[in-house]
Amino acid sequence: MSVTLTQEVIDVINSKDTAKVLATIDKDGRVNVAFKGSLHYEDGLLVVNELLETSQTNKNLTYSLWFDKEVAAVFHGPGAAEYQIKGIPRKVLIEGPIYEKAYIAAQERNSDNDLAGVWYIEPTEFRNLTLPVRIAEQKEKYPIIGHLDKDVNPEYYK
Amino acid sequence: MATKIENWREKELSIEEVFDKYKEIPKIVILKTDVHRRGYILSEKAQKLFNEGDYQSQADTIFGKKEGENKIPIGLIFRDGTSLVGGYLTNYGIRDPYVIDEIDGKFYLTDNGKVYEEVDFWREPDFYRKKTSKGTPMGEVVNVRPQRLNVAISRVCHFWDKPGEGCKYCNVGINGIDSVKHGIPDLFDYDEVAEAVAEAVKQKGRFAMIMVTTGSILTGEHIFDDEVDEIIKAFEKLKPIFKTHDLKVQLIASAYDKEQLKRLKEATGIIGYTSDIEVLNKDLFNWICPGKAAHVGYDEWKKRIFDAVEIFGEGNVNSGIVGGVELAQPNGFKTEEEALEKYLAEAEDFAKHGVPIAYIVWGVCGIFHNQVVPSLDYYVALAKGLNEINDKYNLKSYFDDYRRCGNHPNTDIGRIYW
Repeated sequence: MSVTLTQEVIDVINSKDTAKVLATIDKDGRVNVAFKGSLHYEDGLLVVNELLETSQTNKNLTYSLWFDKEVAAVFHGPGAAEYQIKGIPRKVLIEGPIYEKAYIAAQERNSDNDLAGVWYIEPTEFRNLTLPVRIAEQKEKYPIIGHLDKDVNPEYYK
Repeated sequence: MATKIENWREKELSIEEVFDKYKEIPKIVILKTDVHRRGYILSEKAQKLFNEGDYQSQADTIFGKKEGENKIPIGLIFRDGTSLVGGYLTNYGIRDPYVIDEIDGKFYLTDNGKVYEEVDFWREPDFYRKKTSKGTPMGEVVNVRPQRLNVAISRVCHFWDKPGEGCKYCNVGINGIDSVKHGIPDLFDYDEVAEAVAEAVKQKGRFAMIMVTTGSILTGEHIFDDEVDEIIKAFEKLKPIFKTHDLKVQLIASAYDKEQLKRLKEATGIIGYTSDIEVLNKDLFNWICPGKAAHVGYDEWKKRIFDAVEIFGEGNVNSGIVGGVELAQPNGFKTEEEALEKYLAEAEDFAKHGVPIAYIVWGVCGIFHNQVVPSLDYYVALAKGLNEINDKYNLKSYFDDYRRCGNHPNTDIGRIYW
């Protein structure tokens, strides 16, 4: 399943000022959520540099790669923009030139950093979670949902 | 000459049937296990691409590649980071090997025309073609896996000194004796080893572990005293490279007594210790590893591994076996069912003492070169069973996992359990 992202979305995903969160599940279906500042979009894939070999995220990404299970990332940009991308991990680099470059970059940020792997996630679904957009969507698709007080005619009470 | 199994595809479960039978085991690990079991070759197109790449190869590093000769791969890496150690022509002739083909500039594992997985080969590290101060290519002094440096102490395993005492599945002993006959020293030059290691670790992110191993040296006041002395001598050269006392090192060596273990740990700072029991059954151990049986004995070898947990701590000791050798004939188990039952029971005894077992897929050679390796079904059941035991006893051996070793299907699986 191919997912096409607009440049506007890609810019939010790749901004260093965006809050980035990755949700994964383990082999027993238990969920794990973690901030992942390294998440970015590159050549049609989400890429995340996982620093810790023993992190739950690292184990869960492995599980999802092995068994074609989805993970989900959310991005909250500096403005109101908020996006969710689901996807399946397809590859992890644990050696080689790309890995070594990411390892050096991680160490430059903090000399104590290590690098477990550079993970590549193939997007399967995109959702725009920006609140005004979601509110408009809900009004359009489910007009019966919402509280009555918001719909009252102020003129009636004058 | 290998013993070919005629119509082998009709006699055992296909890999697709094994995928279906073991849905909880990752397909990549099953595939890796099968490729190790059956070996692989390269198509003409893949060989050409491999020759052009900056990949490690046997021909380049050990024997000296001649112009026009094909390079010989020494390992694969899968898209989940799992390694396959060796595998090229392993068990060739028993069953049909996998074929690595080139498709759109990438390598793929194929069998009977079906494409299974993209794979890659191990890359050559920066230090490999540099020379030591004595002029030896560093790749001949220290060899590597994707994230590991391999350091050897003795080329010769002295269990082979007395005819009939070498382990029957092994060719290290035969090769070691052969090297010495050709004038190559028994022991590595530790100054050269240290120079190579010091150069290797300059490459940031390339290595996560040093594995130190040695052929057994039986001499000394107590058996293996001289082996321990040699390891300590090597570490006198290696330790100054690092700023910590404890070193990210796995030692794979003989089974030492408590005094030797204490001396070794204190002098070297080694974190991980492996002594391979090789065969998880006393009677078969006596037949397959006659030297170890005669000089140490199964029960004592096992006890020494258990004692090592006290010295190195739980999670830092394990033991390896040559998976499948228990079905060697005429004395091995007669059925895979019996082998699995007996082996897992004995593995559980190790686990109760804090020692996880790691198996490698048997590549027939040495005295056992005419034997045949078991089915894929057996190997997957063994990996699953060993992983379940390790999980039950909450045993972890990070030092022998997919990254730091890559040669054990059961610890490949273990990476999401730890």
